[in-house]
Amino acid sequence: METIVSNKLDQFIADLKASQIEIPTALQETAQAYLLGKDFPTTRAERFKYTRLGKLAAAQFHDPVLLDETQLKAYSVVQDAYTVLINNEQVFLPQDLPLGVEIKLLNEASTSFHDATFNDVFGALNALYAQQGVCISIAANCTLDKPIQLIQVNSGGKCFYRHHFQFGENSEAAIYFVSKSSADTIGFAHTHFQYDVAKAARIKVSKIQDCSTGHFDFNEDRAKQGAQSHFEINTITLDGSFVRNDAVVAVEGQHAQTYLNGAYWLKDEQHVANYTTMDHKVANCESFETYKGVAADKATAVFNGKVFVRKDAQKTNAYQSNANVLLSDNASINSKPELEIYADDVKCSHGSTTGQLDENALFYLRARGLSAASAKNLLLQAFMEDVLTYIKHEEVLAYIHQRIAQRFNWNY
Amino acid sequence: MSNYTENELAQDLENQEYKFGFVTDIETDTVPIGLNEDIIRLISAKKNEPQWLLDERLKAFAIWQDMTEPEWAHVHYNKPDFQGIAYYSAPKQTKKYESWDDVDPELKETMKKLGISMEEQQRLTGVAVDFVMDSVSVATSFKAKLSELGIIFCSFSEAVQEHPELVQKYMGTVVPSTDNFYAALNSAVFTDGSFCYIPKGVRCPMELSTYFRINAGGTGQFERTLVVADEGAYVSYLEGCTAPQRDENQLHAAVVELIALKDAEIKYSTVQNWYPGDKEGKGGVFNFVTKRGICETNAKISWTQVETGSAVTWKYPSCILKGDNSVGEFYSVAVTNNYQQADTGTKMIHLGKNTKSTIISKGISAGNSQNSYRGLVQIHKGAQNARNFSQCDSLLMTDHCGAHTFPYIECKNPSAKIEHEATTSKIGEDQLFYCMQRGISEEKAISLIVNGYCKEVLNQLPMEFAVEAQKLLAISLEGSVG
Repeated sequence: METIVSNKLDQFIADLKASQIEIPTALQETAQAYLLGKDFPTTRAERFKYTRLGKLAAAQFHDPVLLDETQLKAYSVVQDAYTVLINNEQVFLPQDLPLGVEIKLLNEASTSFHDATFNDVFGALNALYAQQGVCISIAANCTLDKPIQLIQVNSGGKCFYRHHFQFGENSEAAIYFVSKSSADTIGFAHTHFQYDVAKAARIKVSKIQDCSTGHFDFNEDRAKQGAQSHFEINTITLDGSFVRNDAVVAVEGQHAQTYLNGAYWLKDEQHVANYTTMDHKVANCESFETYKGVAADKATAVFNGKVFVRKDAQKTNAYQSNANVLLSDNASINSKPELEIYADDVKCSHGSTTGQLDENALFYLRARGLSAASAKNLLLQAFMEDVLTYIKHEEVLAYIHQRIAQRFNWNY
Repeated sequence: MSNYTENELAQDLENQEYKFGFVTDIETDTVPIGLNEDIIRLISAKKNEPQWLLDERLKAFAIWQDMTEPEWAHVHYNKPDFQGIAYYSAPKQTKKYESWDDVDPELKETMKKLGISMEEQQRLTGVAVDFVMDSVSVATSFKAKLSELGIIFCSFSEAVQEHPELVQKYMGTVVPSTDNFYAALNSAVFTDGSFCYIPKGVRCPMELSTYFRINAGGTGQFERTLVVADEGAYVSYLEGCTAPQRDENQLHAAVVELIALKDAEIKYSTVQNWYPGDKEGKGGVFNFVTKRGICETNAKISWTQVETGSAVTWKYPSCILKGDNSVGEFYSVAVTNNYQQADTGTKMIHLGKNTKSTIISKGISAGNSQNSYRGLVQIHKGAQNARNFSQCDSLLMTDHCGAHTFPYIECKNPSAKIEHEATTSKIGEDQLFYCMQRGISEEKAISLIVNGYCKEVLNQLPMEFAVEAQKLLAISLEGSVG
């Protein structure tokens, strides 16, 4: 690590502890090579064009005050679930797992690591400094009776996590990942998710990002999808000063389906960036992306989606949509839906809109006696419902609605 | 012909040779190869330029030296050796032509091959042509008629001599020399171009047009175009180019500046057909162009382009919608074939209130080509009620080519409405089937579909150009367009 000559990044990693996870040497070496001579990316870097890291570089982190199991349990969103509790360096694993399900510490599990694909320095840092991680394996043909819930609470300080998910052939599971933080702390968390979705598996991952102000929540999803599988990542960003999601899904088997959805509600000086890459490597696959957001106050939202259709991926059907509503003069929305297509027999399209609520719809509601604020809130809620409909779990939906109502004071 | 399939069409596209490959043999007056301050002084002296312009050039050169070539575009090529280019080349004759008869017959021949015989143009079409052969403009027609209305339409160097106040006032106000690598290079070494000024309230009665042509081998061409439409004026400006076949890559780094003052309207149409390189991707023109216009209150700028040539294209005609209620439009058809690479699109910068912009971009990729749309729609804080609509469609003809879309949408005003949509597909089997079922041959059907696909853009071209554009599309997609 002495090889890193730059200043801010150097400062940032100075007090990090080396990884406790046995990360393959090859991956670590690639990470070190990647970091060589690098500093925090500036807005000149394409992937950070709209993201200023000054606040992160200047943030003063304190030592975490760890929570006990009961305190952590209180953050549950789904009551009836196999729950994993992660709090900085401590992990509580669930007991009494059904046959076919294994949840272990990453170090104790038999798992393989994907080849490195670093999109930014944080991904490389994760490969060197990941403190904790769990590995969740679902055996072939296993259908989970209840969801798996991961609650990751940041009690301040800088943490890197690495979680592996291995879904066997024809398995079915719903995963809820809840990202929270202890109140009144300043923290940084970078979580790397690695998914292996085997043939015909049906997997739904929903992330509830709900850290408090003062928290930096960075996420990196790397998925490999097998034939005929159905894979879904829903990213719901409710809170957190600075949230960055970077999902890369590589479709490696034919007739697979991928859904990437996101919803974000921003206020104050929040910054939320969603980066997605759909890598269609083989023919006959479908992917759908729906990202919707609302930005108020001085918030900035970024969406950068890329659909990459390789030469052999004929008959690909890819759709990408990003819709935003700006609620204040000082908020801003940056959207970059990209298509990169090398196969001819494909159907790829994207749409992006930024605008405000339909005046006719507002009038309709006002005419029926709703106040201006109620009408607006109702329409905003409806606007976001397109994404929330992918989350089928009542408890989770109720939690989301309650948090939004609370944060934005949306009552009718 | 009934068995004509899409694969055969693709084959034909690959095999077809460049139609305008000829070199006019005129002794050219070329300065030594390379680029340094002395060369710039030499160019400036040759053109008998005032001191301020030389200072500008030297300033731009200093800026350029500190810059590096942009690499963000989705194109790959061997970077040109900027020291291996002759930066000035002018047909040898020093005195201006008194009449049409004085013009070198070989030049006339060139123009004939390009289909713009001056006599015919003058007699039949009513289009004033400022023909640029390499870098010095050799003939200008209808000048008298235009000057009656107070319209100035002349070569850039002539404008520098005769209207220095206008040139000094407007040059570099839209594309400053600090703008980008190629704009800086152009600002330092530009040789000639066109200048056009439409006075207040004047509606230019004819389409103004300029033909560019890279001629002397190994000569870079650095055109500079400045179009100023004063308050309430209207002008439609056409630019078209064909370049002869050459094996080494040629560099074309032009700068076009449009200034539409209050209530003015400028319509700028381009048909670009520089030499695209041969089937193996050898040779071809590098087209690195900076085109930008600024709209004051109630003004309108409309860019229409049909891009079929060049080995590498890097071109983003843009509009700065500075004034309230101003309108920017961009209509583009980009066809790439063989190993051509195009990274083209537009930027719409909304600054004023109630500004509107429309982007219609149609890409057609064939052979092994790569065709990218890259666009920016930026709504600034003060741009109340700004409105943008963008549509980018790509048509893929073979499975070796690529079609890409990189739109940037940045919005800082809550009252703005922005819509962007893009699609990528090949010619629909069902569309083909529908046509063929009605007795239209496959070849004709493909032609029909491609024409229909581009119609939105072709409709925007002025009459004179629409014919040429259709001719070009026909050549580019030969074998299918009937």
